[in-house]
Amino acid sequence: MTALSDARTSRWAVLTALVTTSVVLTACGSGGGDSGSGAGQPTSGGTLTFAVGSDAGCVDPQQVASNETIYSVRQIVDSLTDQDPKTGTIVPWLAKSWDVSSDATTFTFHLRSDVTFSDGSKLTAQVVKDNFDAVPKLGALGTLAEGYLSGVKSTTVVDPLTVKVTFSQPNAQFLQATSTHSLGIESSASVKRTPQQKCSDGVIGSGPFVLKQYVQNQSITLAKRTGYAWGSSQWSKKGEAYLDKLVFKVVPEAGVRAGSLQSGQVDAISSVGKANEAALKGGQVTLQRRANPGVVFGLGLNNARPALKDTRVRQAIVSAIDRQQIADTVFPTGTRAATSVLAQTTPDYTSLASDLTSDAAKAKALLDLSGWKMGSDGIRTKDGKKLSLTVKWFPNASTNQPALELIQQQLKAVGVEVVLKQLQVTQFAPTLQSGDFDAVWGNVTRADPDILRSSFSTKLANFYHLPASSLDTALSEQAATVDAAKRRQLVTQVQQSLVRNAYYVPVVELQTQLGVAKKVHDVNFDASSRIQLHDTWIG
Amino acid sequence: MRRYVIKRLGQAVGVLWAAYTVSFLVLDYLPGDPVTAMASAGMDSGQVDPQQIAALRHEYGFDKPVLVQYAEYLGRAVRGDFGDSVSTGRPVTSALADALPQTLQLTGAALLLAVVLGGALAVLATYTAQRWLRQLLLSLPPLGVSVPTFWVGLLLVETFSFRLHWFPAFGNDGFKGLVLPALTLAVPTGAQIAQVLAKSLLTALDQAYVETARAKGAGRWRVHLRHALRNAALPALTVVGLLVGQLIAGSVVVETVFSRDGLGRVTAAAVTAQDIPLVQGVVVFGALIFVMTNLVIDLVYPLFDPRLVVASGRKAALA
Amino acid sequence: MSQSLVDDPVEAALGLGRPIGAGPQPYPGRRVDVRRLLRFVLRRPGLLLSVVVLVLVVLASFWPDLFTSQDPLKGVPSQNFRGPSGSHWFGTDELGRDVFSRVVHGAQLSLKATLIAVLVAFVAGGLLGVVAGFVGRWVDDVLMRFVDVLLSIPALFLSLALVTALGYGTVKVAVAVGIASVAAFARVARAEVLRVRQAVFVEASHASGARWYAVLVRHVLPNAAGPVIVLATLDFGSSILAVSALSFLGYGAPPPAPEWGTLISDGRNYLANAWWLTALPGLAIAATVLATNRIARALDGEWNRQP
Repeated sequence: MTALSDARTSRWAVLTALVTTSVVLTACGSGGGDSGSGAGQPTSGGTLTFAVGSDAGCVDPQQVASNETIYSVRQIVDSLTDQDPKTGTIVPWLAKSWDVSSDATTFTFHLRSDVTFSDGSKLTAQVVKDNFDAVPKLGALGTLAEGYLSGVKSTTVVDPLTVKVTFSQPNAQFLQATSTHSLGIESSASVKRTPQQKCSDGVIGSGPFVLKQYVQNQSITLAKRTGYAWGSSQWSKKGEAYLDKLVFKVVPEAGVRAGSLQSGQVDAISSVGKANEAALKGGQVTLQRRANPGVVFGLGLNNARPALKDTRVRQAIVSAIDRQQIADTVFPTGTRAATSVLAQTTPDYTSLASDLTSDAAKAKALLDLSGWKMGSDGIRTKDGKKLSLTVKWFPNASTNQPALELIQQQLKAVGVEVVLKQLQVTQFAPTLQSGDFDAVWGNVTRADPDILRSSFSTKLANFYHLPASSLDTALSEQAATVDAAKRRQLVTQVQQSLVRNAYYVPVVELQTQLGVAKKVHDVNFDASSRIQLHDTWIG
Repeated sequence: MRRYVIKRLGQAVGVLWAAYTVSFLVLDYLPGDPVTAMASAGMDSGQVDPQQIAALRHEYGFDKPVLVQYAEYLGRAVRGDFGDSVSTGRPVTSALADALPQTLQLTGAALLLAVVLGGALAVLATYTAQRWLRQLLLSLPPLGVSVPTFWVGLLLVETFSFRLHWFPAFGNDGFKGLVLPALTLAVPTGAQIAQVLAKSLLTALDQAYVETARAKGAGRWRVHLRHALRNAALPALTVVGLLVGQLIAGSVVVETVFSRDGLGRVTAAAVTAQDIPLVQGVVVFGALIFVMTNLVIDLVYPLFDPRLVVASGRKAALA
Repeated sequence: MSQSLVDDPVEAALGLGRPIGAGPQPYPGRRVDVRRLLRFVLRRPGLLLSVVVLVLVVLASFWPDLFTSQDPLKGVPSQNFRGPSGSHWFGTDELGRDVFSRVVHGAQLSLKATLIAVLVAFVAGGLLGVVAGFVGRWVDDVLMRFVDVLLSIPALFLSLALVTALGYGTVKVAVAVGIASVAAFARVARAEVLRVRQAVFVEASHASGARWYAVLVRHVLPNAAGPVIVLATLDFGSSILAVSALSFLGYGAPPPAPEWGTLISDGRNYLANAWWLTALPGLAIAATVLATNRIARALDGEWNRQP
C-alpha cells in the first residue's frame, strides 16, 4: 500500500491523534483511595470514599438538618459535650467539666486549654460566646440551633476558659443540646460571616477533619487535621484521626450506591434500603444499623388547612395507614412501625400502640361522620370540594418515594386522594417556613424529647400550625423540669395529646442502615445515629 | 474567500442573537410571571411574600416594558453577563464555565468513539461482498437510533459495572470512568454517522473515477479507502457538525445516569429548580457550540473540496 | 442525492427533503390498491413485525384490559422484587405491582404524549412551511431564518427550557417536545410546497382561474402531504424517545403514573437487585420506536420504488 503521504490525510491523522491524546490526558485523574495493609491492627492513612444520597446545599454544621450531609460536616466541628450512645449520659468533649444550677437556668462550662481551630486561633470562652450569640441570626436554616437556645438571657465570659449560659426559664434539654452538631463550635472568624457565606464556603472548626472542597450536589472532601488532640471522651483513639482523607460523593440512586459498594468503587454507603440488603449481605460488606431517636417518619400535617382542621379527618388518616406494611415492604430489616410520635430509642418514649392501630373501617366511619361523602371516582367530596392532600416530599432518602406511594394507595382505599409533589432537598426549610403545604413527609432526629417542643409548640416556629392548647403548657413545663420522673410524666402527656389529636401522623421509625466494606473498621454511631469517623481506619 | 468567511461569521452572529431572543421569549415572556416562578422556586405561588416579589421584580427589571427589558438583558448578555443563578447565587457564566470542561471531555470522547465506530461500520458494510454480513451490519444503525440513551447507559452500568466490575458506575474519576458514559453517548450519533457514511460510500463507489481507478489496477481496499472514502467523508463531516448539538444535549441524560459532574447535570438541576437565568444561559450556550462547530466546519470545508462553489454553501456540496 | 427521507435521518432533521424537481411527479389524485398493499407487507417480515408491534401498542393504549387484568397502581407489597415469571411476565416492582401491567397502562400515557407532540410539530411546522412556501418572497426568508435558529438550539435544551417555563406533567412535556420538532416539519413542508407549486397541473389550474385557496387545498396540499406524513411517522419515534427522556429526568407526571420513562427512572434505584425494572420497560420503548422507524422507511421510499 502506497504511503498515505497526502497532506489532507496526514492532517486528519494529526488532528485525531491530538484529540485522542488530549481526551486521554485530561481524563486521567487520581483513582480511588489506597488502603492500609495488615489485618487487625489499626493503621493510619488512607482515603475513605463514602457515597451519600443527597446534598442539603449547605456545609455549615449549625445549619444542616439532613442526615446525609451531617455525616460529612459533623467531622469539621467539635461540641462542648458528647453523649454516650448506649446510656444517653452526657460526657466531656471540649468542655472538661460543667456545673448546672439546681433550677437548670444556668450552665457553666469549663473548657479544655489545648484546643485550636484549623486557622490557628485558640478556643476561649469568648469564642463560645460569639457562637451562641450568633445563633439567633442564623435564619431559616438554623431553626434547630435557635430552638436549643430559645429563651437564653445571656452568655457570659467568666474567665478565658469558663463560659456561663443563663436562661430566663429552666431549660432541661440544654445540656444534651450542647452535644449536637447544631451547636458545634466554630472559630470566631467563621461566626462573623453571613449564614449564606457559611453555607456555601464552609466554616473553620476545631474538628478532626478540615473541609477541603465542596462542590454542591456532587462532593464534599475533608482532610485530616494534624495536631488534633482533644477528641471526645467517647472515642477510643487519642490524638489525630487514622484516615488522611474523607471523600463524600453524592449519588442519589440507592441501586447505584449499592452496586458501587459491591464493585469496590466506594468504601461505604448511606441509606441502604431493603431492596439492596440481600445483595450486599454476604459479600465483602457489613451492614450496620441503628434506630434514630427523635420524631418518627410521618406526615407533618398543616393543621390550619380547611380539611385538616377537623380532628376526625386527621384521625381517619392515621387509622387508614398500615404502618407495618410500609415498614416491612420499604424500609431496612428491623425497622419498627411507629408506636408514638417519638422513636423507641428516645429518652421518655412511651408506647401508644393501641392508639395507632391500622383500621380502614374506622377511618371510613370517621370520614363519613365528618360529612365527607364517597364520590363516584372513589374520592370523597364535601360541599363540592374533593378530599385531596398534596404531600410535599424531598428525596433525601431513597425510601421516601415508595413509602409515600404505599400511603397513597392506603389512603385512596378509604377515599382520600394524595398527590405527591417532589421538591429539592434545599427547599425543605423554606417549605416549612412558608406554610405552603397540606402535608410534609419527614422526620427529625434528636436524642432528647424536647424535640417535641421544637416541632409542635405554638410558642416557637409552629411549622405545623397547631392551635394553641394545653399542649403548649405541657411542652414548656417538660423543658423546665429538672425532676426526671416529673419530666417523664409530662412527656407522656404530650405524646398522648399529639397522637390522640392526630396533629402529626406517625408512620415508621427511621433506622439508619449503612453499608460498609469489610476493610473499613470502626465506623461508629453517635447518640443521634450519625457517624464519627475519627476512630475509623482502613486495613 | 474573504467574503465567504465574513458572510459566514455574520450569519453565525445572527443565529446566536436569534437564539438568545428565542430563549428570552420562552423563559422570560412565556411563563407569564417568571418572577413568581423564581421566587417560589417550585412551591405553589400562592404563598410567596409580595414584598419579596416586588423587590425581585425591580432587581430583574420586570417592572419595565418588555422591549426595554429585552434590550437591557441583551446588552448585558453581549458583555457576557447572564445574571446570577437563582439557586446557587453564583454568576451563570462561571457556573457554566466550571461545568464545561467535564462535559467537553465527555462529548469529545463520545464524538471520537462515534466517528471511529460508525465509520468503521460503514466502511466494513460497504466493503464486504458477503450479503449476510452487510445486512447484519446495516441493520445496526436503525437499532442504534431507536434505543433510549438512558436505557443503554443503565444496561451498560448493570452489565459492565455491577456484574463484571470492569468500570465504575458513577463519577468523573479517570479514564475508566469515561468509557461507559462516552460509549452510551456515542451510540445514537455513531449510528447516524454510519448511516450517512454508508449511503455516501455507496454513491461514491458508483462514480466514474472509481471505475477508472480499478481499471488502472488499484486493489479493492485502496479504492475503497483512498478514493471512495475520501469523497464520501465530506457529507459525513457536515453531519458531524449537526450532531455536536445532539451530543451536548445528550450529556444531560448521560451525566444524570452516571452521576457525573458537568453541564448536563447543572442543566437538570436548573430545570428542577426553575432557575431561569441558568437555563437561559445553557440554551444560548448550546446554540453557541452548535454555531461555532458548524462555522469551523464551513470554513474548513472549501480547503478539502476546492470544487465547491463557495457561495452555494452546504446544500450544493451534498448534491 | 438521497431520495429517501428516512435513511438520512440527519437530512430529515435538517428538513432538506428532496430537491425541487426530483421525486415522483405529482398528479391529481392517487388511490391505494389494498391487495397490492397486503402483498407488499407480507413479503417483508421486518415490516410485518413492526406493524404488529405498533398495532399492539395502539390497542394497549385504548384497551389495556385486553392485555392484562392486574392493577397497575396497586400490588401486593409482600411480593415485591419478584423476577419475571409465569404469573408476572415482567416481574414485580418495589411495591409488588405487576410491571407488565404498568408497561401496558403506560402505553396510553406515552402514546397520548407522543401524539400531542407530533400533532404540535405537524400543525405548527406544517403551517410555517406551507405559508413560507406558498407566499414566498420576504415572508419565506423570515420564516426560514426563524426555523434555522430553532435548529441551532439542541432539541433537548429547547424542550428543557419549555419545561422550565411551563412546568411538569405529561401534556406540558409533550408540547415541549413538539415545539422542538417544528423546524424539521417546516422545512419539509416548505420544500414540498415549492416542488408542487411548479408542477404543470397547478399552473394550469391557476391559469384557468382557480383561486389561490382552491389551488392550495385541492392540489398543493394533497401532493405535498406525502413526505410530511413520512416525517410525522419518523417524528413519532423520536418523540417517544424525547418524551421518555424527559419523564426519566423527572419532568413527567407524578407518581404513581406509569409513564415508560418514569418506570425506568424508578427502576434505576434497584438496578443492583432488580434488573427487570429498567430492562423491560426500556425494551418496550425500543421496540415501539424501531417499529415506527421501520414503517416510516416503508412509507417513504420502498412503496414508491416497487416495480
